[in-house]
Amino acid sequence: MLVLTRKIGEKIKIGEEITVRILEVSKGTVRIGIEAPQDVKIYRYEIYEKILEENLKASKGAFSDIEEAASLWRQKEDKE
Amino acid sequence: MKFNTRKFGEIDIPDDKIIAMPLGLPGFQGRNRFVLLERKETRPFCWYQSVDDPNLALVIMNPFLFHADYAVDIEPAIKEMEWKGDSLDKMSVYVVLTFHNEGPYRITANLIGPIIINTRKCQAVQLIIHDSPYSHQHPVMAHYKTASQPENAVGR
Repeated sequence: MLVLTRKIGEKIKIGEEITVRILEVSKGTVRIGIEAPQDVKIYRYEIYEKILEENLKASKGAFSDIEEAASLWRQKEDKE
Repeated sequence: MKFNTRKFGEIDIPDDKIIAMPLGLPGFQGRNRFVLLERKETRPFCWYQSVDDPNLALVIMNPFLFHADYAVDIEPAIKEMEWKGDSLDKMSVYVVLTFHNEGPYRITANLIGPIIINTRKCQAVQLIIHDSPYSHQHPVMAHYKTASQPENAVGR
């Protein structure tokens, strides 16, 4: 991991096309601005991770329940 | 196109039914092609089967069937995928379901990572929604409480 120090207003360049700028620092929070091409996906790490983990969990689901769940669903529909 | 699946054996799907996810599906790198399999026995749940990996299948469904007020802005999908100009009625919203070991009443849906399928282009993308009021584990069967079901199994 590369570790470096920047002051407010200073920038970091990542490759040819990505620029990260430190906008504001206060009470343990850093606000950053990112300029990147549109096809570069930028996510808050923890939200991306949450979705990735949920996808993995979903792929290992207790799928033996699917027909039972579907039949419960249809029973409810029939009552309506 | 013929391919193998663990759940359904070898299946033969017309090429124009294969859905490409050029931006990938988080967690499943390199597995970018899927088919949507709707079976009468499992309706309203649909299988989202990987073409590239026989062992990879997700269950997805229309979120509006259990959450009529669910709202999702699909504009980011249109932008990321360059779907501008495609009719909105060719775009369907699905959510990924997790089947937990506690049984069918514990099924949850990930409402912050909906999959948007463009049936005209045969492409799909999973949106990653920041600042969402919704949960990644929203109970799907919460309304299905019946007399035979223990109270504590609902929507936990």
